[in-house]
Amino acid sequence: MSEVKIPVDLILSKLAEDAEKVQSRAQKASEVLLGDLETSLAQTPYEVVYQEDRVKLKHYLPRTEIRYKTPLLVTYALINRETMLDLQPGRSVVERFLDAGIDLYMIDWGYPSRKDRFQGFDDHINGYMDHVIDYIRGQHAVEKINLMGICMGGTFSVIYAALNPQKIKNLVTTVTPTNFDTKKGLLHVWMENIDVDRVVDTFGNLPADVMNLGFLLLNPARLMIDKYVGFMEHMDNKTFVENFVRMEKWIFDSPDLPGEVFRQFIKDCYQGNKLLKSKMEVGGQRVDLKKLTMPLLNIYGKYDHLVPPEACDQLVNKVGSKDTEDICLDTGHIGIYVSSKYQAKFAPKIANWLKARDKISKKRAPRKRKTAGAKSVGAKKAATKKKTAPKRAAKRKTASP
Amino acid sequence: MTDKTEDPFGLAAMAATWMKSMGEFWGPLSDQWSGGQEQRQAGTKPGNDEPPKGQAALAAALKNWQAISSAMATPESMAALLKSSGTMPEVLMSLAQTSLGSFLELQQNMLQRLGRLGESAEAYEFIDIDENIFRIWSDIYEKEFHRFFQIPQLGLLRTYQEKLSRVADKYNLFQSNLSEFLRLLGLPFSRSLQVMQEKLGRMAEAGELPDDTRDYYNLWVRVLEGHFMTLFQTPEYVETLSRTINSLADFSASRDAALEDMLSSLPVAKKSEMDELGRELYEIKKRLRKLEQN
Repeated sequence: MSEVKIPVDLILSKLAEDAEKVQSRAQKASEVLLGDLETSLAQTPYEVVYQEDRVKLKHYLPRTEIRYKTPLLVTYALINRETMLDLQPGRSVVERFLDAGIDLYMIDWGYPSRKDRFQGFDDHINGYMDHVIDYIRGQHAVEKINLMGICMGGTFSVIYAALNPQKIKNLVTTVTPTNFDTKKGLLHVWMENIDVDRVVDTFGNLPADVMNLGFLLLNPARLMIDKYVGFMEHMDNKTFVENFVRMEKWIFDSPDLPGEVFRQFIKDCYQGNKLLKSKMEVGGQRVDLKKLTMPLLNIYGKYDHLVPPEACDQLVNKVGSKDTEDICLDTGHIGIYVSSKYQAKFAPKIANWLKARDKISKKRAPRKRKTAGAKSVGAKKAATKKKTAPKRAAKRKTASP
Repeated sequence: MTDKTEDPFGLAAMAATWMKSMGEFWGPLSDQWSGGQEQRQAGTKPGNDEPPKGQAALAAALKNWQAISSAMATPESMAALLKSSGTMPEVLMSLAQTSLGSFLELQQNMLQRLGRLGESAEAYEFIDIDENIFRIWSDIYEKEFHRFFQIPQLGLLRTYQEKLSRVADKYNLFQSNLSEFLRLLGLPFSRSLQVMQEKLGRMAEAGELPDDTRDYYNLWVRVLEGHFMTLFQTPEYVETLSRTINSLADFSASRDAALEDMLSSLPVAKKSEMDELGRELYEIKKRLRKLEQN
């Protein structure tokens, strides 16, 4: 039997070299960590133009001439915060949309408290979303607006568009789960067996800490060990540390999830898969995907462990729209938004896709709708800045995907 | 002559003898104590004829004990006492059998696990992960000990006692489920280290050991990640996760119920009252919006 040759001396000398590197890195790291770090999120200026309870509507101040007749409303999920779309200057989906000339609005769902535990899909979709969309339609004197949804926000957007096709011109869904009848993706496996009634009746809202822990447990090796080992290796790099801390701030800035939303999401979606079967009911109305007749752009990530491709790629086959497009990017769930490389790919793609479908019909604009209890913060200010239809002679800025 | 069929071990006779001797011990002791008190009182100041209260109470207690001993010494009393205490061994025996059975089951499981030490670890496989001490303890607890917390309480404070029993019961269940869940989460670490050992051995034999320490770490993290991914899709993990979440919910609910009882004596609004208020507000707002739309 041959001897096992373990180069112990080589390993030891490597360890000695590594120890020197570690020492020098620690020295630089302490300077970086104790110095000024720019880790702020959501720096792009905006105004809160509408507010209802905890829900705010953000209107981003244009950075260039508005080139789209139809404003775009972005609806983020109720899990985590929409600030991911505006991580930092130069790495911001919001900036890219604004630079493309889109008139951009975004819903801020706020931080649900215990009293919000009774709010379900109906309250969020037929309540808050509908009021916000009516507000935007009134402000811009348009019949329809563009709607973009992200993750659970995309699910909400699909439901809204199916219930209110007359108000949505174009629909964009990104990393949006619509098919829950798949064993791909651990969430799909785990949520099938959860006793959601017991959890919601006991805890009310799903605590943010529990959700965060759950997401970490999806891949503990990478998310709880390797990530921080990587940080230790690069913590002498100021830019790296700033980006890392920014991501940490975002990822653990989680609101609680309203209990009834969680209940319905688990029962009707994960356990019943009712949305794709057009059997889901929201506010007493059946969500029929065949009524979703506006153009649909559906983007998802090939390596998305939260919402796998199998959970996204069936939507285009179930809707009534004839103008649909699926795009699968070689990235994960949030890679689309946080990676500069993929931001450069997908944001212009969306902008160009919307531009190609930006013709506006000459029907009368709807009346402005008032809702009780709605604090239209800044509404008067917004009225003075009412946008008129953009001139066609403006230069078109196209970005290649 | 004692009847050996009714008292095969002569317990009744022994007990009667013992009680009689106790009576003979306490009686003279009580008399001596009383006599000593009289002598002490003879030396006290004139006009103070009453004995101190503490000593009088002690004398009374001794006399009582003498009376009880004499009463218990009668054969009829002894027979009744022995008959009633005869049921105690049966109860204790059944408890002991339960405990012994559970202990033997646990021991068997531990021996099986010890027997598997040294076996080669199949990478990314989790066979027989259901055989673990915490799961067995959970099952034993639910079968045997759980019912002791269900014994009905009596008296004015019975509702509170029942709630506290429920808290203790749910806590035990949650702890056992949580231990089981944490044990499962620890499995990939142990398996990955075993797999790494074998891999490194093979690489060493082939002379392909990496030079950089980082490569060892990367290799281990990949193996660990693979084990976690495999574990998370096993039915055992899914079931354990579900049981842990459910037991946490049950414990939280029972704890909240007990805490609300404690809070009811303080001028503080209870969570359930705030929830009711929240729901009423929500319903009112909804109706208002409907009315506005109409």
